[in-house]
Amino acid sequence: MSSSSKRGMLGLALVIPSFLILLVVVIIPILYAVKESLIDQQGTGYGLANYIRLFTEPAMRKNIIYTINVTLVSTALTLVISYALAVYLRFGKGFVVKWIGRLYFVPMFVPGVIATYAIITMYGNHGWAARLLLPLGIETIPRIIYDYKGLVLANLWFNIPFATMLLSSALASIPNAVVESARDAGASTLQLFGRFILPLSYKTMWVAVTFIFMGIMGSFTAPFLIGANSPQVLGVAMQQVFSSYQETHTASAMAVFMFLLCSFMGYFYIRTMVKDADAS
Amino acid sequence: MFGKKKMGLILSGVLSLSLLAGCGTGGNAATATGEAKDTKAGAATGTTEISLYTGGSLNVKELWETLIKDFEAKNDHVKVKLVYLPAGTGGASTLDRLIAAKKSGQTDTDIDLYEGSLDDITKGVGEKLWETVDNAKVPNLANVDETYLKQVNNQAIPYRASSVVLAYNSAKVATPPKTADELYTWIRQHPGKFAYNDPSTGGSGSSFVNTVIYNFLPPEAMNSDDPTNMKKWDQGFSLLKELGPSMYQKGVYPKKNQGTLDILASGEVDMVPAWSDMALEQLAKGLLPDTVKLTQIDPAFTGGPSYLMVPSLSSKKEATQEFLNYVLTPEAQTVVINKMYGYPGIKWNLMPSELQEKFNSVSSGYRSFNSGELQQEIYKRWQSEVAGG
Repeated sequence: MSSSSKRGMLGLALVIPSFLILLVVVIIPILYAVKESLIDQQGTGYGLANYIRLFTEPAMRKNIIYTINVTLVSTALTLVISYALAVYLRFGKGFVVKWIGRLYFVPMFVPGVIATYAIITMYGNHGWAARLLLPLGIETIPRIIYDYKGLVLANLWFNIPFATMLLSSALASIPNAVVESARDAGASTLQLFGRFILPLSYKTMWVAVTFIFMGIMGSFTAPFLIGANSPQVLGVAMQQVFSSYQETHTASAMAVFMFLLCSFMGYFYIRTMVKDADAS
Repeated sequence: MFGKKKMGLILSGVLSLSLLAGCGTGGNAATATGEAKDTKAGAATGTTEISLYTGGSLNVKELWETLIKDFEAKNDHVKVKLVYLPAGTGGASTLDRLIAAKKSGQTDTDIDLYEGSLDDITKGVGEKLWETVDNAKVPNLANVDETYLKQVNNQAIPYRASSVVLAYNSAKVATPPKTADELYTWIRQHPGKFAYNDPSTGGSGSSFVNTVIYNFLPPEAMNSDDPTNMKKWDQGFSLLKELGPSMYQKGVYPKKNQGTLDILASGEVDMVPAWSDMALEQLAKGLLPDTVKLTQIDPAFTGGPSYLMVPSLSSKKEATQEFLNYVLTPEAQTVVINKMYGYPGIKWNLMPSELQEKFNSVSSGYRSFNSGELQQEIYKRWQSEVAGG
């Protein structure tokens, strides 16, 4: 046996355990869900009926558009705010920066349900916000809970700390020398950001976007408790179809569709990573 | 040649593989034999352990803890393990587990007794999930009103009951509506001050919806799963749609029974449909302000029992029946009333007379509603027409 083929076999042997875990925990369940989703609701035969229903039923179509809308808007807002926060924490100085740096990740340790109830008691119709504004003569605050706005707010609360943490670590690895020499050469703040900081943290930004996107796409607790009754995000709608209507095959089709949306995101992520690896 | 290091690596790879494989099959086999031993040992020493799966609010857990303690004190050969899954987290998945076990052809589950609702029974009937109970196996079943047993074809035991009532803030509402029509008029006259929860998430909301729809149908339709009734729902749904803009925040339906009680407590609304036991308990604990009062309208909201079901896959039915027999004694039922503020599962006249008097005002009656799988159709139509309309 040549030494290269031996090495190849060794490589395979080392990969097999993790591949098997992937197979049992991820690949087989996905294939099973795909199979389930193709069985029609009467359980009689295979077909695309569940998917057709997903895209033709007006309520379901509204749910899909709503979910994509909430996810994209929340992801974009999270990214912009986290980026600004991370840049501020990296290059800002002073007392405030130090305290924000110590406190910003605290929301990550608050369980989702508790945070959701906190949002309800804060922004509800008779919540803290409304009571604090009352002495100022403001009697009605806009509807935040049971609305699109509340959902985006909850998503921001859950995702900003994590995204900021990722981006902060990427920005921390940019040497001060790069920034200072660029400034010496006369780069404006905007140029500094566009030419140096963004490219140097670009990869981490994609990691953050992928995780935020997938997290929001699959979120359930907050949308269930503070989302509107209709349209609903797909996670809540899926639970309803599965548990309240007992239409397991349609629920499977929804799960597969959500998986496809997420894997679309994953594709861009992996493509960026591969490109990056090729370049270096 | 393989170096020693490489050899070691390959070996460990192979080892971990075989370990993985072992976990897949060997693990199950081991637990299966373990269980078999348990039952055998149980037969020898005379102790059998059964597990009771229950969900619901914390008061349900406390009720069972008390009942199990009393039962075990009197009974030394049956032990009851309580598996409590808080409302909304795992109740449905227990049922899903049972259905999955049945569908995949398993012959035994570790769920010996399951507490659930009418919904759960109907969901399981199609799969032949539940064991039929009768007086020969559980003598105290004679204490239970036969009509309630017939309703579920003896597939479950209605061991306690409660009904949906109207909970209102007496500081804001001087004269509460007495009839369903008066209630609808009140809702129209006080926009934003009434709320009912999303019917698929809790019984008080679904009771409101069912009542609105079935008040337009003959009384016997309420306990029929005849699909032709679906054609007669239009009047009810158009009333629900018409009331929508007068509801809390022009049509927000909070999730779960607690969702509406929360906004009643905070003063955002003045009236909600609520479960009698939930409201009474929260009044007693001061979670609802004491200005909140309860009343029943005419025709009444629906109500009904909580049921205990014996999964047909359970292997310890005899021990389970012994425990069921205890649950249906007047003594155990007194605990139900005092702990849960519920109605007893057995006939009122078997209960201590002071309790009969105490509950005279609330137990004024409810209508039972069981339309089988039609309930799911109501949820679906409500979701698309009322919530999404």
